Amino acid sequence: MAKKKLTKTLKDFWNGKPHSGEEGGRRLGDLYEDKTGLLKHREWRGVKDTFYYMYNIWGYNYVHMVLDILKFSNNPIDFIKGTWRYRWMGQTYLPVIHWFERGLQGVRGEALRASAWHYRAMVSASIHQICNFFNADTRLHGGKENDAYRHTIFANETTCGTLFYPWKDAGYQYLPMEMIPYFVTCHVNSHTVLNYIDAVQSIGLPGDPCPMCQAESGLFVLDDVPDSAPIIITCNEACDASVSTHTLQDWFANKPLFALPIPMQFDDPLLKKYCMNEIEEMWKFIEEQTGVPFSWESMKKYLERQNKLQRDEWEKWEVASKTDFYPINGVAQALFRIYSTQYGIQGDFWEEASEKVKKIMYKCVEKKINPFPQTRHRVIAWSCAPLYYSNWCTWAYNCWGLNTIINMDSLMFDMEIRTDSYENMLEDMATYHMWAPMRRMAVGGMHHIFELWDYMKRFNCDMVAMYDQLQCKGMQGVHGLFEDEFRKRNINAFWIPHALPDSRTVSRAEIRRQINDYMTTVMHEEPLDPSLLDFDDSMTW
Amino acid sequence: MKKCSCSFGKKLGKFLLKFCGIFVALNAVIFVIFFFDLDGKLLFNVVEPFLKKHYDNMERRDVLKEPYDLNKFPVYKYDD
Amino acid sequence: MKDLKHLIFFEKLLQEANNDLVKQGKADGKRAIGYTCYFMPEVLLDLPGCFSVRLRAPGCTSPDIATYYLSGRVCHYARSLLERALEGGYNFLDAQMGTETCTATCRFQEHLQQKHLDSVDDMRIIDNDDFFCTFTDIPFKNSENSYNHFETQLRAHVLDPLHEKFGIDTSDEAILKTIEAHNEVCRLINEIGEYRKLDNPTITGYEFHVIQLVSLTCPKYLILPYLRETAEEMKTREPDLKKNFRCKVVLAGSENDDPDFTKLVESCGALVVCDRFCYGAVESRIPIEVKEGQSPLRAIAEHYLKTSNCPRFMPQDEMRARKKRLAELAEEYHADGIIVASNKFCEYWSYERVIDTFILKRDYGIPVCSIEKEYINSASGQLRTRFQAFVESIEIKQIQEGN
Repeated sequence: MAKKKLTKTLKDFWNGKPHSGEEGGRRLGDLYEDKTGLLKHREWRGVKDTFYYMYNIWGYNYVHMVLDILKFSNNPIDFIKGTWRYRWMGQTYLPVIHWFERGLQGVRGEALRASAWHYRAMVSASIHQICNFFNADTRLHGGKENDAYRHTIFANETTCGTLFYPWKDAGYQYLPMEMIPYFVTCHVNSHTVLNYIDAVQSIGLPGDPCPMCQAESGLFVLDDVPDSAPIIITCNEACDASVSTHTLQDWFANKPLFALPIPMQFDDPLLKKYCMNEIEEMWKFIEEQTGVPFSWESMKKYLERQNKLQRDEWEKWEVASKTDFYPINGVAQALFRIYSTQYGIQGDFWEEASEKVKKIMYKCVEKKINPFPQTRHRVIAWSCAPLYYSNWCTWAYNCWGLNTIINMDSLMFDMEIRTDSYENMLEDMATYHMWAPMRRMAVGGMHHIFELWDYMKRFNCDMVAMYDQLQCKGMQGVHGLFEDEFRKRNINAFWIPHALPDSRTVSRAEIRRQINDYMTTVMHEEPLDPSLLDFDDSMTW
Repeated sequence: MKKCSCSFGKKLGKFLLKFCGIFVALNAVIFVIFFFDLDGKLLFNVVEPFLKKHYDNMERRDVLKEPYDLNKFPVYKYDD
Repeated sequence: MKDLKHLIFFEKLLQEANNDLVKQGKADGKRAIGYTCYFMPEVLLDLPGCFSVRLRAPGCTSPDIATYYLSGRVCHYARSLLERALEGGYNFLDAQMGTETCTATCRFQEHLQQKHLDSVDDMRIIDNDDFFCTFTDIPFKNSENSYNHFETQLRAHVLDPLHEKFGIDTSDEAILKTIEAHNEVCRLINEIGEYRKLDNPTITGYEFHVIQLVSLTCPKYLILPYLRETAEEMKTREPDLKKNFRCKVVLAGSENDDPDFTKLVESCGALVVCDRFCYGAVESRIPIEVKEGQSPLRAIAEHYLKTSNCPRFMPQDEMRARKKRLAELAEEYHADGIIVASNKFCEYWSYERVIDTFILKRDYGIPVCSIEKEYINSASGQLRTRFQAFVESIEIKQIQEGN
């Protein structure tokens, strides 16, 4: 008996405890401190993975965060000044390693290695943006408009970076105004955004419009957007509230602002010409404001790199859809894709990570390594995800064996842009922009949202995680039809209610409870790790 | 010569021992920080509350006083 | 004041979408074409052989089935329309001319669009074999590119389907003739509306709201005689000797097809002298002008984009000019204040209302009452308190200014 116990202890020490909920399983839920979601101690993943995690993920990323600052910042002192000045910076980016922790919990082997590279790229791209903010911010430079300021173009975060490639080689930097201060912060530290939501409501905005747009406006109400660019481009991605957000932003920023409207009914072939003209008008605005002409060479160069990244992604999806060897977990897949397509090719981070991941992926394929061996269901996540709980899929795999293979946001900019001629490029650019996140499926004719069935088939999924963004009018407007269709098609689907960035509306515990209920009452399944069924992380980042 | 080599060897040995000791100690400290999530605990319990207090008490521009000029900017149209 | 001769008749017409005049129009062999948004030019739906009906769902207080489909978190207006449709209240429609101008009404109209989903096909919400629904993409700007686009869209998604499916004459001559009839309605409504500018107006906001709504929801050729008679009647209508209002207000904001809401405002002492909201007359009753050498369709496309003050317009100059326009209306109609009312869940007006509340007061010195309302206002007690307080604040301001 004692020998058996010793053998198991040694085995657990070497390999980490087993995933399953049997006696002696790893019981990840027991690692949490009550309420804060901090860890009593980190998980022992076995010798190899624990030290890989410690040195190559935890330590490596702490060091590289500093190196990235030194690499991208004109003056590291600005970074410190910016941290002191902006809440979204100081309060959010310090716990960035914990963001890794939440997304990678329980992940082992090749999945741990590959998923961490996606995270690494996102952190690097975020620091790139942060440094660009601070390099140009007049507030950090005694009110002076320096060269970096004159070479920065602000855009609403849903205006994709691709549109600004023509000025990239001339030294112009596209900066999505809210991507770092709002969007990324929600993933890393969901406390910060609540200040911005409250701020905009304090000036009379009701609580029911999309909370993403509320937060985007709230940043301006609290005067927490750096003054880093002389001009602003806005667009109507993705909804009514986005359009309206700009009315407040325009007032508070009080800078030259160009509105780039993208037509809604994008299936209509008659729209293309209109959309192409709008994009060209925007380019004329930039030419006029910067005095620098549109550069086809610059456009082509970065588009080709972007196309390569897209082809890489298709390669990865091919493995994800047809095999069990795809080593990226649900959250790393979704966030990498949305970050990279929205920001575009502004550095090498996406391509480097993609190459590394492909290498790991092909190793899995060759050696037939299943990185998620406890998979019970292959899940497709549909609609827009809860930003404060983007790592729900890590939990769902650990607790129930629900492996999220793909999600709607990943499938948005799902195309290459032709670079053989200006005309073809422009035509594809129009389509590309109309296929933006939260846009392609969520608006523009409801039939696109029902492409879900095709994607389920393509990615070989047997279950749907249906996000239910309570304040998204577009998605709420198809709620009943989805219920009808799920029943009619006999599809296993569970709803994940949430309010995008606002963790107060639906807590993480409530999201877990909904999934638990579905898995027990509808699917009649037992959890893999019962310690994860119910725990209190109400105060967590 | 022999004495000298011995003393060098001893010194080298001592240095290596010291180096290994420091390396192991450093790694042990790092491991303790890592394993017991001390970085997270420090950030959550000390750094974040401190920064929150700072941001909450910061003086900010009252954006509602920002002018709303009608003719400050030209009409940006390029298709006429 | 003496009651308007046709007011009760008009009120009766507003009790349901398929009212007596709509039934008569259908009996005359004309096609009923539904729409919800100002950006769908009603004039094109009034071409010979068809007539426009701007959809309303009067009296819909609990849209239960629609709430299952659209959830309880989209605007009550869209849900009420769907509920009414599910009840069979729009079965008289031969077509719905949809627009994706606001998400909620778009989703409502998409539910009417048959045969792209098994479930929708099964639902067959509009029980009419001829029924079809098309969508027109509406630009967000006033620019040549937008006018070209809008014109193309109207041709492809309104005129062509009407011609192909119902044989409607969509020639320039037919459009010009319809514009003439449309402009007569506009002229009459404006003529009636002018009396609101008097020091002691001879028409109440409620009465005007009713008249404007019947002009939107009934076949034009059938409502015109009544409008002519009402305009004539207005010429000799005497006001009450003693003013029965305490101040005058502009009512601005989102969708509002509920005259009882206007009545509620007026019962608190604020006479509504101008209606700058969806379904209001300020924009929709500006006559369409066809310039020389311009095709009538092009004139319509430009007209509807140029006259709209919808918060959906994105360019910087247009966003900012909207506030000035509202201030100008207050001056033109001698209003003492502005009530900005947005429907709950209306995202455009939630934001616009915030800015209006600050800017109109700060930059133009106009008192503003900012409220959020439902499509059908069951919470009238709370609103009454708000309006009464607003009226009192205007009176205090007037006393302080020595007026």
